[in-house]
Amino acid sequence: MLKSIRMEDLKKLTDEQVVDYVRTKDQESYLEIVLRYQDKLMRYANSLTRDEQKSADIVQNSFIKAFVNLNSFNTKMKFSSWIYRIVHNEAMNEFVKHKNEIPMLEDMDFASSEDVAADFDKKETQERVRKCLSEIPLLYSEPLSLFFLEEKSYEEISDILRLPIGTVGTRINRAKILMKKICQTIQN
Amino acid sequence: MPNNTKLNIPENIMSWIKKGQVKMKPKWYFVLGSLAMIGGFLGLTIVSIFLVSLITFSLRTHGPMGAIRYEQLLSSFPWWAPIIAIVGLGFGIWMLKKYDFSYKKNFLLIIIGFISAVLLAGLLINYLGIDNVWMKRGPMREFYRQYDGEGMKRGAGWRMMQDDDYNNKDLPLIRRQ
Repeated sequence: MLKSIRMEDLKKLTDEQVVDYVRTKDQESYLEIVLRYQDKLMRYANSLTRDEQKSADIVQNSFIKAFVNLNSFNTKMKFSSWIYRIVHNEAMNEFVKHKNEIPMLEDMDFASSEDVAADFDKKETQERVRKCLSEIPLLYSEPLSLFFLEEKSYEEISDILRLPIGTVGTRINRAKILMKKICQTIQN
Repeated sequence: MPNNTKLNIPENIMSWIKKGQVKMKPKWYFVLGSLAMIGGFLGLTIVSIFLVSLITFSLRTHGPMGAIRYEQLLSSFPWWAPIIAIVGLGFGIWMLKKYDFSYKKNFLLIIIGFISAVLLAGLLINYLGIDNVWMKRGPMREFYRQYDGEGMKRGAGWRMMQDDDYNNKDLPLIRRQ
């Protein structure tokens, strides 16, 4: 009974407060963090690996790493950026291990145009993003999925991918252009 | 299968935590790690500055590079110093990249600033003559003496100049003139 009441109280706390509680009082309250992030991280990992089972492994390993290193997390920072970063790293490690099985980062570059990008309405784009994302090189699809599907801000994406905010903006704009080209080709 | 794996994640993790198979690293572990990192970075920076000053000291004490002095310089120049300095700077840059601010700022500028600061500090030591003081007294005295003008005595050019037979020889080219 006491446990369930406490779990209810935990739900009202912010991520950072829960982390602080886990570190100082009760490690089993980590369950709250796992429940809060399981679906989000699965979706994110899936957008990277496009493999449900591998994504589950990545997310599970990320939760374990996050728990082991929880004392290194600065509660003044955003927990969500921190845990997304761990998933990103785990996915990249997985790519290195299975180079031939999983789509690798491809560095495609082309001219950017802000005007084309402006055509995209966020809600409309979400659905198209899901359909076309798998066709775009990971270099561009990752920031795009974080922006549209995970609804992260440029600053959060910058923290997750450890890229300057300007680079995040450039990649998202290029991803939109690339996606438009690819999606049009698919539709035709 | 996907639903099963999804449902198992919280269960698996919590059972490992409860059984103590997954343990949180203590705070001091990370504090110690950060201190070691900062210490390592500062140490590498100091070593790099010192080696830059040693290189400039060695070049200065050998004077301008005339044809004869070139061989002397080659024989006594501390070639390991620039190699270690470059490796040290490389590690320093790698360590800088580990910090959160590295991607928020212009990292190229940070690197240029870091290398410039190391070179400037090394040159300043030379300019202010601090290395001369180290050569005359203190624990680094013997070390510095190896790389000042004395060090060049090991070179073939110096030996030629010291060779009595060589000095007493009539140089055919000069005699003809």
